[in-house]
Amino acid sequence: MNRIATRAMAILILVLAMVAGLVFFLFDFLINGDKWVAFPGSPHVYYDSKASPVTLMDRDGQILSVLSGDRTYAQDEAVRKATLHWVGDRLGNISVPAVGYYSKEFVEYDPVNGVYKYGGTERNIQLTLSASLQAVALEAMGDYVGTVAVYNYQTGEILCAVTTPTYDPDNVPDIDGDLTGAYTGVYVNRFLQSKYIPGSIFKIVTLAAALETVPNIREQTFSCTGAYAVGSGEVTCESIHGRQSLKQAFANSCNCAFAQIVGQIGKDKLNYYVQQFGVTDAITFDGITTAAGNFDLTDAGPESVAWSGIGQYKDLVNPCGFLMFVGSIARNGVRYQPHVVSQVTIGSERTYSAKPESVEPIMSRATAEVLQEYMAYNVTYKYGAENFPGLTVCAKSGTGEVGGDRKPNAMFTGFVSDPAYPLAFMVAIEDGGYGARTCVPVISKVLQACKTAIDTQEVG
Amino acid sequence: MSQFVQIFTNAADTYLHVYIGIMRYLAPVLACILLLRCVKPLLTFRRQPEIWAWLCLEDGKKLPLTHWENVIGRSKRSDIVIDLPAVSKSHAVLTRYDDGSWTVTDAGSTSGVRVNGKQVDISALQPEDKIEIGGIRMTLTPISHRQEKRLAELRGADSGLFRNLVNVVLLSVFQLLCCVAFLLGSDSKTAASILGGFGGIFICQWVLFVFYMVIRRTSFEVETVAFFLCTMGMAAIAAVKPGEVAKQLVALLLGLGVFLLVGWSLRDLERAKKFRYLAAAAGLGFLVITLLFGKEYYGAKNWLVLGPLSIQPSELSKVCFVYAGASTMDRIVNKRNLFLFIAYSAAVCSCLALMNDFGTALIFFTAFLVIAFLRSGSVGTVTLACASLGFAGVVALKIAPHALRRFSAWRHVWENPLTTGYQQTRSLMCIASGGLLGLGAGQGWMKNMFAADSDVVFATLSEEWGILMAIMLVLSILALGLFAMRSAAVGRSSFYTIGACTAAGILLVQTILNVLGTVDVLPLTGVTFPFVSNGGSSMICSWGLLAFVKAADTRQNASFAVPLGKKRRDEDE
Repeated sequence: MNRIATRAMAILILVLAMVAGLVFFLFDFLINGDKWVAFPGSPHVYYDSKASPVTLMDRDGQILSVLSGDRTYAQDEAVRKATLHWVGDRLGNISVPAVGYYSKEFVEYDPVNGVYKYGGTERNIQLTLSASLQAVALEAMGDYVGTVAVYNYQTGEILCAVTTPTYDPDNVPDIDGDLTGAYTGVYVNRFLQSKYIPGSIFKIVTLAAALETVPNIREQTFSCTGAYAVGSGEVTCESIHGRQSLKQAFANSCNCAFAQIVGQIGKDKLNYYVQQFGVTDAITFDGITTAAGNFDLTDAGPESVAWSGIGQYKDLVNPCGFLMFVGSIARNGVRYQPHVVSQVTIGSERTYSAKPESVEPIMSRATAEVLQEYMAYNVTYKYGAENFPGLTVCAKSGTGEVGGDRKPNAMFTGFVSDPAYPLAFMVAIEDGGYGARTCVPVISKVLQACKTAIDTQEVG
Repeated sequence: MSQFVQIFTNAADTYLHVYIGIMRYLAPVLACILLLRCVKPLLTFRRQPEIWAWLCLEDGKKLPLTHWENVIGRSKRSDIVIDLPAVSKSHAVLTRYDDGSWTVTDAGSTSGVRVNGKQVDISALQPEDKIEIGGIRMTLTPISHRQEKRLAELRGADSGLFRNLVNVVLLSVFQLLCCVAFLLGSDSKTAASILGGFGGIFICQWVLFVFYMVIRRTSFEVETVAFFLCTMGMAAIAAVKPGEVAKQLVALLLGLGVFLLVGWSLRDLERAKKFRYLAAAAGLGFLVITLLFGKEYYGAKNWLVLGPLSIQPSELSKVCFVYAGASTMDRIVNKRNLFLFIAYSAAVCSCLALMNDFGTALIFFTAFLVIAFLRSGSVGTVTLACASLGFAGVVALKIAPHALRRFSAWRHVWENPLTTGYQQTRSLMCIASGGLLGLGAGQGWMKNMFAADSDVVFATLSEEWGILMAIMLVLSILALGLFAMRSAAVGRSSFYTIGACTAAGILLVQTILNVLGTVDVLPLTGVTFPFVSNGGSSMICSWGLLAFVKAADTRQNASFAVPLGKKRRDEDE
């Protein structure tokens, strides 16, 4: 029996294993507990924060959603639909990293009490978005699938960014059972997470690179016969533009001219400037990281390089990322970091407040000013200044050929150059057809609403 | 009218929040006091060797026999060491029986055992019989009945009826407080089942306690700990699936039945030895039947559906396995028995592997290791067994994709928070959200999770009752394990010691896999937390295993699984 009694000590191994595992876990908890609580999708922060309800508000203080128990949303159906991709759904299908990013501050976590809180303090997250502008933008998008966004290039505030298709979180349709394709990618915030073939809006990038690197580019003229031979193939235009100045070629969106310009810039320089301008970079703000675009000339021959400078080939851009590039042109070459959360308050105490934040200049002031001039000319020459009454709009359209039987993606981007209305915008409509024709009516309505809002001091 | 209802609801809401605010502190304190009171005697009981007989050598030396089973041999680890070349390492076993009689058994020695000059394999001993081992003659003198009585008094000194009564009252108060917390937060539909659930446990523990009093057993600590665990299990069910309260109560009743039955069968060692073969057959039989007629749920074919009942026979097999593995000293020294047991274990483990139930196979394997080590004491055997498990594990992972998925997620749950790491990340988020003190009964989110009341019940309880309370659940199981280990030193028969240690080993390993799997320290295996997890088979198995722990409780009048001293004979003295 003595032997057995000694051998019984083997049970100690199991006891010690349990104790060691438990101690390991407790240390893990003490060190990482705060991160676990704030992790995206954490139930007590996102869905069921009974202990500490959080109110998400728009820039004017309108309630967009209250994260408590079963969650509540805005009163107005259009606002609910238009802001869904920024405030998230009840089931966590739509992730809203911005909410999680500030959660540590508003859940008031401590290891002893967790997120328990007796009685509630008001916790608010105020967004830079305007609910009314969101609703206007959603209405302007109609049945289109895609995104429209406006941001203030002086402050970095995103004023509105709508994603379609969307749905009413208070009246959820049968998304899984839908066979029409009406809800394809409905959980994605397209402004932040989609990637589109840019088409001709990419000519802004190519033009900027040319202005930076080819000394006499503005004095040159370019001839267009409808086709331009490059390498073993050719680049084509839909019409014959004849002989044209650089400004006119940009306004005509002449592919043949831009193929020649790309030839002068060269493959390596073009690649360098795309990186320099950060056109395809993923941007991180408020805990959000946008999808990175794509610009890859690794195996590209001269023809492919030419097409890449026109926004085809393997080019992909994220709407938010491209909007920041366009905004930097408006800001004379200096890019401002975007943000969507303006402030976080707990009770009466403000725990976070957004500040405008610039990054290094990405292009020379001279280049930016030429681009401003040329893009303004695009509007007066082509898109129609009458579409933007009271605003000096600078813009460029694009038609991203996606191939197959599908209609091309319609793209439109630019900015308002009036100092009173520092707005940069981006429209991307999937299967939208010709860029300007589809997008101008949409952005026209949105910009007018923005102008009215600024004029009446709602937005500023 | 609706206004009145609104006011009433608001008032109830306020009460609930005030109550929860208090309970967050009160519940852990109460549980802590209760556990300390229960665990202290389990871990500090008198463990001095008790002398049951004297072995008188020719030269007048008197050697004390301190166990009911004593190995005589040359080996230093024998109970009685006779260091002479003619004596084998393990030469003979002296065994005491309930009635105070003794036998001597030859343990396969080279020179044999003689009683009164006659070579014997096994022989009952009379007081004047001359035993001859390796040329040494000796006689065995049992202690007198008066001495026995004195021993019993010493043993019983630190165990008290009153102390246990207070414990049960404390537990009852704890249950009442838990119940009220849930009732305040419930609607009329769930109120009845919550009341029934906590009330059911309350009645069960008092009936058992009174039954113990009637049969003059005074120790209730082990049972109190088990009832405490059941109470917390009920708290998880009340939060997650209030509709399954009644089912769990029935399981508890069946579990108590098995507890008493196994305990009764262990009371008499001769009866237990006979039961052993029946249990071994049943254990394997359950598995074979499952293999033939079982149903597959979540990748493992371990369910048997009988009309409205669905049971996991592998849980019941665990109890049988402990029975099959336990053995008395006179058999242990004979190696053939161990090989038989190894073959039996291999059969059981292959059944489980065929069922795809690797979590359970791992538990059986641990039980096997404990038994094999206790019986052989050979580190080599155990190492070999572990190596073969490692090999089998690799093969198993290759065949079973769902098992491999779990392993690939292990320690990487935060990289796949929505897929393979979903259960663990939600568990950790909720545990942290609850903090040390918890969010309050019924206030958690874990109830929305799959298996919130079984596989990840640790997180569910941790979120609502706090990490402190969850740790106390683990400590409760640890205390049972340590108690089984400590009991070994004063164990009367190796049968009980092996049984208790194996049962404790199973309880510990299940707790380790369940708790550490939930918090991603180990891979999540879907093993139940003994007494706590919702599941009838698991509850029955837990109580069955507890009977083995209880049977090793040799404190005077402590265990119903240990017969009382013969009272009449005491009076004769």
